[in-house]
Amino acid sequence: MIFQCDDLERALRSPELMPDARAHAERCEQCREQLYLWSEISRLAPSLHEEWESPALWPAIRAGLAAAAPPPRRLPVWRWSLAAAVLVAMAIALSLPWRVKPQDREFLTEGALEEVQQAESVYARSIEKLSKVAATSMERTPSPLADAYREKLALLDSAIADLKANIENNRYNVYLQNQLAALYREKQKTLQEWLENGKRN
Amino acid sequence: MPYGRERMVGAESIGRLTLINRMYSTDYATEADLLAACRRQDVRAFEQLYEIHGPRLKSIAYHILGNRQDAEDAVQETFLKLYRAIQGFQGQSSIGTWLCRIAINVCYDLARKRQRETEVPTREHAGPTSQAPLRVALQDALGRINPRHRMVFLLFEVEGLRHAEIASILEVPEGTSKAWLFEAKKELKRLLTETRP
Repeated sequence: MIFQCDDLERALRSPELMPDARAHAERCEQCREQLYLWSEISRLAPSLHEEWESPALWPAIRAGLAAAAPPPRRLPVWRWSLAAAVLVAMAIALSLPWRVKPQDREFLTEGALEEVQQAESVYARSIEKLSKVAATSMERTPSPLADAYREKLALLDSAIADLKANIENNRYNVYLQNQLAALYREKQKTLQEWLENGKRN
Repeated sequence: MPYGRERMVGAESIGRLTLINRMYSTDYATEADLLAACRRQDVRAFEQLYEIHGPRLKSIAYHILGNRQDAEDAVQETFLKLYRAIQGFQGQSSIGTWLCRIAINVCYDLARKRQRETEVPTREHAGPTSQAPLRVALQDALGRINPRHRMVFLLFEVEGLRHAEIASILEVPEGTSKAWLFEAKKELKRLLTETRP
């Protein structure tokens, strides 16, 4: 192709025409200058990036974020009540085996214990499934309400784990088994509440 | 050491510090973790975002507003807006792209406000430096081209963003971003040609 000065703009758009443009520029001073400027613009551009120290900027942003944060929420009464109830229940459960006379204690027989444990493991499995569904739903919809439910469930899980450890040492104690069942029921109720709440919204 | 050289060395060490900060800010290893932490309004997550994107946002704001104080005010406002709006961010783009979009809008708002306040241009000159005359002429010409073309030039050539990211920030097709870049360079070439002896 015979490259003319008018073809330069087209060559700047299409890299395949650049060898012709360069060949032409060797003979044409005006186009040589234009090509030089074109490449200098891109070469010099990164040096226009401005960078300077701003030691006060992040502290100012952090202060702004703190001022924009909503005031800390007061813990709902039910959460305090639940925590207190669980603690009281655990304290009673722990002290009961030593307080009551041996003849007054209610003990499970070996057969009954096996039945209770089977029922408990089935119940625990079904609640575990429910937990997974609820956990996914909580992850999907982060909110202060979800945080509150998550906290309540963590509290219940911790109480269940403590009670189970206690039952390991008092396997035939009916009272402890009843407490465990009550905690499982509370957990199930909480999970269902969350899921129903999610459906409504 | 001449002032210009001193200034350049200072900028290099700030750049290195930023890079080190970026390399070691592994509190939130993935963008998803970082976003989740921001949604929990964890200030450390915002600090990490500031360390990663702050220098670029400052530079962009400086080029729109023309002085460092206003640029810093704009970056501060950008983070406040991000903090307030993070719950509504659906993750259609990267958080960096989104931050950039917020920053540009904040800068335009601030520029309009400044324009109403005073008619005197507030562009700050960097002071005596060892800048080559062509670089100075380029910086000057950049302030005189079409603002949309300038923005694409700034994001692509100065700040090193890709056309896909620019398209997302400016909410235009990628082809438009490429076309505006070409127009920007064409305008700059014309202005530089006029000022050349």
